[in-house]
Amino acid sequence: MVSVRNLTFSYRRRPVFNGLDLELKPGSIYGLLGRNGTGKSTLLRNMAGLLFPQQGRLDVLGFEPRKRQPAFLRQVFLLPEEFYLPPITIARWVRHTACFYPHFSFQQFHQYIAGFDIPAEGTMQEMSYGQQKKLLISFALAVNAPLLLMDEPTNGLDIISKGQFRKVIAGALDEKKCILISTHQVKDLENLIDRILVIEDGKILFEQDIETIAQKLTFSFSFDPEDLSRALYSESSFKGNALVLPNTDGDDSRPDLEMLYKAVILASEQINKAFKS
Amino acid sequence: MNQTFDFGRWWMLVGGHWAENRKRYLLALLAMGGLLMAWYGFLLAIDKFGPLNLFLQYTAYHCGLYVVGCLYASTIFAELGSKARAIQYLSIPASHLEKLMCGILFGVVLFFLAYTLVFYLVDIPMVSMANDIIAREHQHWPGTMSPIGKVEVLNLWNNQWAPMPDKQYHLILLGYFVVQSAFLLGSVYFKRWGFIKTIVTILLCWLVFILFMGKGLQEFLPEGWHYDTPLQWINFSTPGPPQFVRLPPSLERILIFLIQYSIAPMLWFITYFRLKEKEV
Repeated sequence: MVSVRNLTFSYRRRPVFNGLDLELKPGSIYGLLGRNGTGKSTLLRNMAGLLFPQQGRLDVLGFEPRKRQPAFLRQVFLLPEEFYLPPITIARWVRHTACFYPHFSFQQFHQYIAGFDIPAEGTMQEMSYGQQKKLLISFALAVNAPLLLMDEPTNGLDIISKGQFRKVIAGALDEKKCILISTHQVKDLENLIDRILVIEDGKILFEQDIETIAQKLTFSFSFDPEDLSRALYSESSFKGNALVLPNTDGDDSRPDLEMLYKAVILASEQINKAFKS
Repeated sequence: MNQTFDFGRWWMLVGGHWAENRKRYLLALLAMGGLLMAWYGFLLAIDKFGPLNLFLQYTAYHCGLYVVGCLYASTIFAELGSKARAIQYLSIPASHLEKLMCGILFGVVLFFLAYTLVFYLVDIPMVSMANDIIAREHQHWPGTMSPIGKVEVLNLWNNQWAPMPDKQYHLILLGYFVVQSAFLLGSVYFKRWGFIKTIVTILLCWLVFILFMGKGLQEFLPEGWHYDTPLQWINFSTPGPPQFVRLPPSLERILIFLIQYSIAPMLWFITYFRLKEKEV
């Protein structure tokens, strides 16, 4: 679905990617994690055809994104972190925007906005930032685009809405769609993503599916010095040492994404070694 | 599905643009009409003898057209100046040509028609009011018995009273489309302050052109030759009895045609490529 080969991109003199490779397949929700300024949004905008790679090959659904052909744009929807909604009513905006997307479902859209508790009346400018964001998420999902790119989608959402977000995203996925969510709010993606991508120094530093991570690693708290010595990554907390350990006993635990992310960034060598073994 | 231009898709784009901007456009037209009315009202108040003559109408129409038209053209692709709006605009599933054609429809065609309509909606009743004032108050010029003629409504197509020699009046109107197209290009080219930066760029280009015509071109002429007037680059004369060098008439006609009619489309062409290459 998406194939990135040797992607090189820089903003004037600031290099962002230097030979990045990535493959996205349909039927999965990918979580793209990385520190601020590592190029998460840049990667999404390259995929959406809004930025052009300086070198390398980018193939999205058989299209070259930089050409921004209508047939490509109708199959890819980018939910940006900074967005703009015109000062008109929801109904008018949807009527004039949805017509560009052949698989847009008005029924789904109304379901989503009802789920998010968004008022259907009034102009969009009168809505709060969070409401506007939920409206845009509802629209993005109702477009039914094969590739949905979301940049920090949970920013500005309240706790209830974050739960609702996870619910609708999980329900919107099918075997023909691929959803890529870029975020630094790792906790918001828990129980949602299938695969995790960590971007660092212009490359994909770590890429694994959640099942494999659960097979290879365990996440626990312990005061035991023996556990601490076996840990691939550790940090102290009130509940004891938070540990990322090799899963030698075949424990079946859900990965703690925040701990995993920190471990990947701060102890990448040990973590990657654990996956090679 | 045609990836370059599809009428149905373009029409959807036009519908979307109108839905988003119609309030702003209608208010702008009202404001334009109001300003023109205020200006005409002022002219009627200060001149009771020959108010709103054709020259005043002509200048009011063209000054308004140039100023408002260029100001509006510089906002046509203003979305591209803001990251959030540019992402939304460039992601709409329509081709770059359709987006450009939508901009040209609103910025060039519809604006010109709407502006002209608003102008006449104000001009016709105000001219009639001026004629009433003349008939009621002063039928003769002060201190004479020569009658003050009836004020006519400006006819844009015969261009009476236009301040141009040789009846080349249409050049002012054609010039407008060229200048406006430059502002349209400026709205894609410059991220911020498009209007001001375009004015500066046009002035710089004009300065370079004048310097080239005034000084630079002389360098390319044979020894002893000079040319008469700036902008008449096809007439050269030697010292002594003037000997003119002219291009063949057919080539001259082609060049004049191209200069008059091709600059605006050429600027649209450049705008298209700028739009295509736009990154955000």
